[in-house]
Amino acid sequence: MLRFVGGRLVQIAITFFLFLTVVFFLFQAMPGDYTKQFIMNPRIPPAAREALKVRLGLTDSVWGQYVNYVRNVFTGNLGLSFEHYPREVWDVIKERLPRTAILFLVASVMAFVWGFPLGRYIAWKRGQTLDYTITVAGVLFYTIFTPLLALMLLFVFANQLGWFRTGGFLTPRLWLTPPSSPQSIFIWLAATLAGLGTWAVLARFATRRIGHPRPRRLAQRGLVVVGVGLAGLGWWASGLGPFAWDIVWHMFLPVLAVTLIAFGGDMLLMRDSMLEVIREDYITTAKAKGLPDKVVRDRHAARTALLPLVTSFTLSIGFVVSGGIVTETMFSWKGMGLTYLNALLIQDYPMAMGCLIFTGILVLVAHLVADLLYAVLDPRIVY
Amino acid sequence: MALLTVQDLTMHYRTKLGGVHAVDGVSFAMAEGEAIGLVGESGCGKTSVAMALLRLLPDNAQILGGEILFEGRDLVKLSEHEMRKVRWRSISMVFQAAMNSLNPVYRVGQQIIEAIQQHLSVSEREARSRVAEHYNLVGLDPKLMDRYPHEYSGGMKQRAVIAMALACSPKLIIADEPTTALDVIVQDRILRRINEVRAEFNMAMMYISHDIAVIAEVAERIGVMYAGWIVEMADTVSVFKHPAHPYTIALMSAFPSIKGDKRVLAQLPGEPPNLLAPPSGCRFHPRCPHATAECVDEAPRLEEIDKGHFVSCWHPQRRSQ
Repeated sequence: MLRFVGGRLVQIAITFFLFLTVVFFLFQAMPGDYTKQFIMNPRIPPAAREALKVRLGLTDSVWGQYVNYVRNVFTGNLGLSFEHYPREVWDVIKERLPRTAILFLVASVMAFVWGFPLGRYIAWKRGQTLDYTITVAGVLFYTIFTPLLALMLLFVFANQLGWFRTGGFLTPRLWLTPPSSPQSIFIWLAATLAGLGTWAVLARFATRRIGHPRPRRLAQRGLVVVGVGLAGLGWWASGLGPFAWDIVWHMFLPVLAVTLIAFGGDMLLMRDSMLEVIREDYITTAKAKGLPDKVVRDRHAARTALLPLVTSFTLSIGFVVSGGIVTETMFSWKGMGLTYLNALLIQDYPMAMGCLIFTGILVLVAHLVADLLYAVLDPRIVY
Repeated sequence: MALLTVQDLTMHYRTKLGGVHAVDGVSFAMAEGEAIGLVGESGCGKTSVAMALLRLLPDNAQILGGEILFEGRDLVKLSEHEMRKVRWRSISMVFQAAMNSLNPVYRVGQQIIEAIQQHLSVSEREARSRVAEHYNLVGLDPKLMDRYPHEYSGGMKQRAVIAMALACSPKLIIADEPTTALDVIVQDRILRRINEVRAEFNMAMMYISHDIAVIAEVAERIGVMYAGWIVEMADTVSVFKHPAHPYTIALMSAFPSIKGDKRVLAQLPGEPPNLLAPPSGCRFHPRCPHATAECVDEAPRLEEIDKGHFVSCWHPQRRSQ
């Protein structure tokens, strides 16, 4: 096991280096550079643009820039952003990464929580009208053109009903004199979510020994409600409640959009995987043993069918940055996706490279985690 | 008193092309502790009969008529809830593909304990010792029960599956091709072991196989199936010594014997009938060397031609091999 992880880490380092190299030269291959956006600006003469190029180091040889950059990255220095000058790239990412991570984590978890049981259910009731209806709905969500879904959500819930804002991270009017920076409130919000998630898992664990399903479920839900209540009370007592709520309110539609799309995928994958497992002989055996239908479905079929879903879930975490470009643009959610897109458009190389470095790291680590999870879940796989 | 009486069991599979007459008017009885065998080609309805006994038929299957009396109760009429209590507790099964009948993500012992705890109110520890007992019985080291199926060899898996079938001490065990996937030496050893255990605990056993030689070794009586019918049923010696149905005779002459003169193995012309539209009259008539107009027009009934020797044929043959 340790050997495997060690070997994989070495692989990851090599892959990462190659990735970095390819990405760097791809950017260099693009025509023009950061200064080209000032060409049409009469107040910045060619001489000033040349001076800017020199200052930004764009006149050095490509190899010189490459060696410099790689050395800097491996010493933990991602450089300064051209656009946000003189802010450091890392500083910008530190602010934006949590926003993307929370958006996608919440949506992924919700999609999983709904998609897994529903996929399991319709696979068990295969061939019935309900199965077809839900499958068609799932395909619809899964294949819908993301901007279209976003526009529809915005039109219905923001424009027509007016329940939510059309975009952004917060309502500026409310934050004229904030008691604390939006970033720190957001981090606290994220911490609250993480805490509640842990609490829910612990509640499940603590009530495991209760024999009957009904009181067990009741105890579980009770504990979760208590946790949510305590968190709400904490925010209210701190006086920061309205500010936190403002952020949550802005998060609602983007989370809904990502959830719907991911939900379709999770549900269809679970259904498919279940249908495959149901045909296995050990399911017939389980039925022949006289086990109740639900036990056969949950303990025998779903447990094995879960494996591909876990992989897909873990790997999808790695792609949040790239996947976020469309969603974040549609909802003007200033996360990694939107930051990357902007940086790319104005050729702010260090910023764009910084975003891609995080995508790369996330993807590589997600693959490693998926491999390890697989070994935990499937006894047939041993490293 | 008979443990199991199957009376006129008729079962169809609904398909897009029409009903498949998989099991048609099958009747037989089993006494307590008896071992019988069902033989026939693939697709003749052997497995369908077995699955009907446990009511584990696929969704498109339909029992159209007949009854399955087990200990006086008609299993066809039982509710799903009551049927669940019969499964494994009273009738258990060793499946055709033992290799795949264990769930790969759970320990083998755990899968047996699960069956035990479903039907008997015993503690985890008692269930474990019960599993260990049955492991010893089928010749497996009880230490293996905490291993996963993929860590077992083919023969070990088969033994574990048999231990699982024995776990709740059922009255009847159905063994569907229990040893087909195994090599001959392991096959023989396992069959002997099953038979010893069966005799020791007075369990009834129904063997299902396409290989009449395997069945002959362990079954006291043999039923020969063809195209959803039982065409001949008699004690094992009679079936071998005086087969009466032309199909049984063909089946016998198609497998080699190490005794007697050298002979050319007979081949049966034609193919098994399409059960979507089975032949009129006797289902065997298109392939039968003795077929007459009567065979084409009317279906024969299963009749007793000797004591305990039933044949469904208009022209039962009376020659010894």
